[in-house]
Amino acid sequence: MHGKNVELSEAVMRFGDFTAVHRSNLEIEAGEFFSILGPSGCGKTTILRMISGFIEPSEGRILIGGEDMRGRGPNNRPTALIFQNLALFPLMTVWENVAFGLEARGVDKAARRKRAEELLALVDLAGQGGKKPTELSGGQRQRVAVARALAVEPSVLLLDEPLSALDLKLRQHMRSELREIQRKTGVTFVFITHDQGEALTMSDRVAVMNQGRVEQIGSADEIYLNPRTPFVATFVGQQNVFRGKVAGLDEGLAQVETSLGRFLGINGDGLGVGDDAMVFVRPERLGLVGRNGGAAPGNQLEAEVEGRELEGPFINMFLNAQGLPLTMHVTNSAEMPAQLAGRQKVGFRSEDALVLRAGDLADE
Amino acid sequence: MNELLRSYGRGLTGLFVGLTIVWLAVLVIVPQAMMLEQSLWSKERGSEISLRIDRAYTELETAKFDLAGDLAPDKKAELEDAVSRLEAEIAELEAQEQDPPKVYGLQNYTKMSGLHFNIFVKTIAYAALVTLLALVVCYPIAYAVAHLSTPRKAALLLLGLTIPYAINELLRVYAWLMILDYQGVINSFLAAIGFVSFEAKTWVPFLEYSGSVFVAMIYAYILFMVFPIYNTLETLDRNQIEAAKDLGGSIWLTHRRVVIPHAKPGIAVGCIMTFMLSAGSYAVPQIMTRGKSGDWFSQLIYRQFFESFNWNVGAAYSFTLLIACIVFIFLMMAIFKVGIRDIAK
Ligand SMILES: Nc1ncnc2c1ncn2[C@@H]1O[C@H](COP(=O)(O)OP(=O)(O)OP(=O)(O)O)[C@@H](O)[C@H]1O
Ligand SMILES: [Mg+2]
Repeated sequence: MHGKNVELSEAVMRFGDFTAVHRSNLEIEAGEFFSILGPSGCGKTTILRMISGFIEPSEGRILIGGEDMRGRGPNNRPTALIFQNLALFPLMTVWENVAFGLEARGVDKAARRKRAEELLALVDLAGQGGKKPTELSGGQRQRVAVARALAVEPSVLLLDEPLSALDLKLRQHMRSELREIQRKTGVTFVFITHDQGEALTMSDRVAVMNQGRVEQIGSADEIYLNPRTPFVATFVGQQNVFRGKVAGLDEGLAQVETSLGRFLGINGDGLGVGDDAMVFVRPERLGLVGRNGGAAPGNQLEAEVEGRELEGPFINMFLNAQGLPLTMHVTNSAEMPAQLAGRQKVGFRSEDALVLRAGDLADE
Repeated sequence: MNELLRSYGRGLTGLFVGLTIVWLAVLVIVPQAMMLEQSLWSKERGSEISLRIDRAYTELETAKFDLAGDLAPDKKAELEDAVSRLEAEIAELEAQEQDPPKVYGLQNYTKMSGLHFNIFVKTIAYAALVTLLALVVCYPIAYAVAHLSTPRKAALLLLGLTIPYAINELLRVYAWLMILDYQGVINSFLAAIGFVSFEAKTWVPFLEYSGSVFVAMIYAYILFMVFPIYNTLETLDRNQIEAAKDLGGSIWLTHRRVVIPHAKPGIAVGCIMTFMLSAGSYAVPQIMTRGKSGDWFSQLIYRQFFESFNWNVGAAYSFTLLIACIVFIFLMMAIFKVGIRDIAK
């Protein structure tokens, strides 16, 4: 399968004076596992409801399989939505839940039952059809919701934070389970989450949203390694941030004057001298100067060690550089002094630092 | 009970329980028991007793007449004996006629006349019909208030529904009387557009149709149907309706499979309340028909009590109505497959 499946074209959604989704463009490929990642209230559900047809965009168009969906209700779109709270029908049995979409199409009872059992087998729930949803565990209910949505043979399955109600262990199990179901069926999944781990591990591509805007779309690698905005840089993974002004330019690099000194980094936004800028350095790219042999990095600063956390393969060091808190990951190797304390010189290479135009950060 | 003890202590719990028992006894058990007792006896004031009194008087007169003549002393003593015996008998019979003895049995129930039985059946049938119509009217209203509007609009709608109920029930019914009367609002309108004429008395006699009682009754008791249904519908997760729609469910299927099953307890409670209120309603049929068309059973009971002063039959009739209502409750519970527990919710 290839080609575009879902397309948001210049879509805007307003509720009264409040704009929940600003002008957005989004293209989701057929058969793709696409995630929309963003903090609570950023408009993820709103986008999903526009795609599924519960609300019409105030402006712009929604296309599915190349067809304009305007005027078509949720029951006439090739989509199926899995609700944030699943919304299983508590008074029906599991198989009746799964078969509801078929009942709506007038499929006779024997055929419905048969198809429901097939779908339940697909989601590993064979033989559980006679139970009530309340008699199932959280993960099983989850899979019933997936089976119920798949029963109408949608070309797009929309999932609204379906894992958020599960505990950590189950959540991790369901991640691979969902991925597996997606591979088996080839249905396009649009998966909403505010959990970056979920988005990065499961998806072919991720869209990161903030306050009603899609800030960046890309593969997990792209999002993590090349964030386009300060929000994306800080929302996905950890970051050390230095604020300052661009003081000089050098072949794709920008030199930023900060209160802790001048730092050189990749000029991600094509900034000019004098622009307000932020320098982003991942904790794993920050290192102690003078250790591990290698050439001293171009950017250096001094910081006080304030605390440490053993993470197993690496150690999380908490530093304080003249009031600015920093985090550094140090490999847990033999030559690492067990007790690292006091004032230390730390540094990072300029190709490991990203300079972007100053903007909103994700709040910690 | 243990919970009560724990949270309120001995003294307060005793007070609660005591008050509940007193309330049950004074307002429920004692009056009902008295009614039941009354319904189970009657005093037969038969015609044969006056016949016997008449006969005794005749004998007495004859004896007295004979006494006045010349008689042998032994004969005279015998007659005097007879006179005193007859006088005693008459006194006893007259006392019996004044206050006949209670005869216990089911006669008050079984001797219901054909006419009264007809009225009973008609009342039950009409009350069931009123309930059905109220359900048909109220379900969409309750659904609309609970799920189609914003919270603000819902509050306004509910207020709008409640305000008429701040008005006395009689006035509410009178309002319909004014609308449907011979020279009421509708007929005046019809007269104004030349459809009917007051002089020729060709007005539409709405009040003589049982439909007018229906309309007034549905209006009078609509809230008792709307609120229980609204309450259950409000607890239905909106996402479930949307999920049904998203899966291609038509409005009808969504209601049949998702909304109505959820609302069942509310529908059952609403039906029970509306049925009991309309089956037992006195004011609405009394005002709307002014006694012109067929009686409702409650009017019949009223007459037994306060016009014929036959409390025993009145009590029996009330009990019959009560039993019909209880049967209806169980019927509703069976139809909607809800238990007392669900209803209590
Ligand atoms: N029907 C509506 N009327 C008015 N405002 C709305 C409506 N639906 C959503 N909003 C607003 O739009 C914004 C985005 O809501 P949305 O539900 O899309 O957030 P979300 O990203 O799904 O958040 P969460 O992760 O908490 O589910 C919120 O500020 C919300 O208050
Ligand atoms: Mg949401």
